[in-house]
Amino acid sequence: MALLEVDNLSARVQGRDILKGINLTINPGEVHAIMGPNGSGKSTLASVLAGRDNYEVTGGSVQFNGKDILEMSPDERACEGLFLAFQYPVEIPGVSTSYFLKAAVNAIRKYRGEPELDAMDFLKLIKEKMKLLEMDQSFMNRSINEGFSGGEKKRNEIFQMTVLDPKLCILDETDSGLDIDALKIVSQGVNALRNPTRGILVVTHYQRLLNYIVPDFVHVLRDGRIIKSGDKSLALELEAKGYGWLENAA
Amino acid sequence: MTQTVQTDQRLKGRTAHTPHIGPHHGHKWLEEFHHAGAAAFEKIGWPSADDEQWRYINITPITQTSFRPAAGPGSAGRGELAGVSLAGRGFYELVFVDGYFSPELSEIGDLARLIEFQCFHDASGDRTDRIRRYLGHELPAMSNGFAALNTAGFSDGIFLYLPAGVAVQKPIHILWFTTRHARPTVVFPRCLISACSGSQATIIQSFASLESDHPPLTNAATEVICGRDSRLELIKLEREAPHAFHVANEAVHVHAGAKFQSLTFNAGALLVRNNMTVHLAEPFGEATLNGLTISSGNQRVDNHTTLDHAAENCPSHELYKSLLAGNATGVFRGKILVRPDAQKTDSKQTSKTMLLSDDAVMNSQPQLEIYANDVKCTHGSTTGPIDEEQLFYLQSRGVSAARARSLLTYAFAGDVLNRIIHPEVRETLSTLTSECLHQLHIESVES
Ligand SMILES: Nc1ncnc2c1ncn2[C@@H]1O[C@H](COP(=O)(O)OP(=O)(O)O)[C@@H](O)[C@H]1O
Ligand SMILES: [Mg+2]
Repeated sequence: MALLEVDNLSARVQGRDILKGINLTINPGEVHAIMGPNGSGKSTLASVLAGRDNYEVTGGSVQFNGKDILEMSPDERACEGLFLAFQYPVEIPGVSTSYFLKAAVNAIRKYRGEPELDAMDFLKLIKEKMKLLEMDQSFMNRSINEGFSGGEKKRNEIFQMTVLDPKLCILDETDSGLDIDALKIVSQGVNALRNPTRGILVVTHYQRLLNYIVPDFVHVLRDGRIIKSGDKSLALELEAKGYGWLENAA
Repeated sequence: MTQTVQTDQRLKGRTAHTPHIGPHHGHKWLEEFHHAGAAAFEKIGWPSADDEQWRYINITPITQTSFRPAAGPGSAGRGELAGVSLAGRGFYELVFVDGYFSPELSEIGDLARLIEFQCFHDASGDRTDRIRRYLGHELPAMSNGFAALNTAGFSDGIFLYLPAGVAVQKPIHILWFTTRHARPTVVFPRCLISACSGSQATIIQSFASLESDHPPLTNAATEVICGRDSRLELIKLEREAPHAFHVANEAVHVHAGAKFQSLTFNAGALLVRNNMTVHLAEPFGEATLNGLTISSGNQRVDNHTTLDHAAENCPSHELYKSLLAGNATGVFRGKILVRPDAQKTDSKQTSKTMLLSDDAVMNSQPQLEIYANDVKCTHGSTTGPIDEEQLFYLQSRGVSAARARSLLTYAFAGDVLNRIIHPEVRETLSTLTSECLHQLHIESVES
């Protein structure tokens, strides 16, 4: 069974049609990349999958693990194993990262029928993951993303992802705002999550990230439609020829 | 000099009202003091609705009710005080019932060894001299009609005198408690604090009342003198019964190098008006004014602050936050006056409101008057419902919507609570905040 099955999905924001019939199948173990110029609808697709409120689904369906998730709240989707690493993570002053993450871990465990982690086990879990992403301890006591640099925010997203252990990881422009060292660390974190059961969807404008997180499939999104799919060589071709090349091809 | 409010522009009260004269117990100076208050009220009357400072809340429910002063302390025991006493937390506690000091209900411990505290009534000698030197100085009766009526009518008052260099470790809690009355009753709490140079303390004033058929009015006045290099934290807790009326005037004088920090916590009463005036009179004085309002139902809470920068190199910080539910209305008006001599003033004012219902209303306005050229004054104000982006972020990690809402609400309030200097007071107010939010059906967040 496919992990994610997006069938002819259309969505609009504020009365404007943004997604115009998306078809996408991700099987367990696969890494897919969605590339496309700014404004093509990449973040919209990610948001609709994660269940953001102000997006209206006007047609099609999304099956995740064989379940229709479009009717689910964002937290239910997260508990089902979907994770979105945001393009623009928000700052939440006054809510500490550790407090929030423990609440998240235990909400998901509870949903899965697993016992909640106590403070000790939780600490052990996050220490291990922090090491992987070369993060400082002090980070856990800080408010979520408050005063973080762009790169720190992205790293925090991937850190949370590794802690929450999702079935499907959606990364929205995780590479933007990262210098090359940070990019390597973040990619390492993502690659460590690659396994035969997990799916990964990498959304990016540039090919650069795909040198580090090598995809099995590449799709090109333009004006709310996937206009071309291929393997990783498609990304290189796009990089060399630019999006204009596909304009003519489409 | 304290900034005097534009007396001449004020219309005389529309409602005829003869000020009550409080008892003087044979003290001639007190008798004169009361009469000066009454004379001031005869001149200025009630604040008028045309007055810029008073037009945001309707005070006619107060001016049109015939409140009588409490004839004496009503009956109250520890049972009645249980919910509002902080003695159990080890704080010093001075209890006033209907404006009269209750030695039986107070928990004084070793406080008398550290500081002088004195009811006006049984003051004598030096202490009378000190009271007379300060009383009515920071808050002249002419400041406004309520200050005048308090001056005329208080039944007794408390004077706290912190000798030079003394640091009081435990918080001092002054509890003003109003009992049940068979008719509309007014109480005039009066508090005078003089913190001598280098002294240090945290002082809490709580206002609480029993529910009764007739709404009580509390008309409170507090004057504070922060001596050189003193550190004073002054907390006000408004926790009166849901139909009560409450007006408070607080005036603070900050000497060189002193640090004054306040928290005005509004959780009770139907109508609350707070006037807080801080006079930064000498260089390197510092004032931090914080506020937290949690309102619901038809509550109206009006916070007016004035930071009067009269000397150079004085920083001031202001953070007023409101959580408004139901049909609650909030007002914040923060005046920052920078006088010509107050060069290098650094003043930051922030007002933030979280609206928990569509019907709650906030009116927030800064008011800057700057007459010096080398100053930094910033102000900002935000009002809105819970941030949808933040909510979505938390939910996208598996946290339920209800839990996410409560996390964000607690974080909003926590921003103010975390600034409380005294750790045990911080803890006490965090608990109180949880109780208030619980009543708004916001589930608590355990750490
Ligand atoms: N919340 C929103 N409100 C209004 N328009 C939006 C919103 N989100 C996206 N859009 C519009 O949808 C289009 C696609 O945006 P987006 O999905 O962010 O593209 P991409 O991520 O590919 O750059 C853009 O034209 C953008 O302006
Ligand atoms: Mg985008």
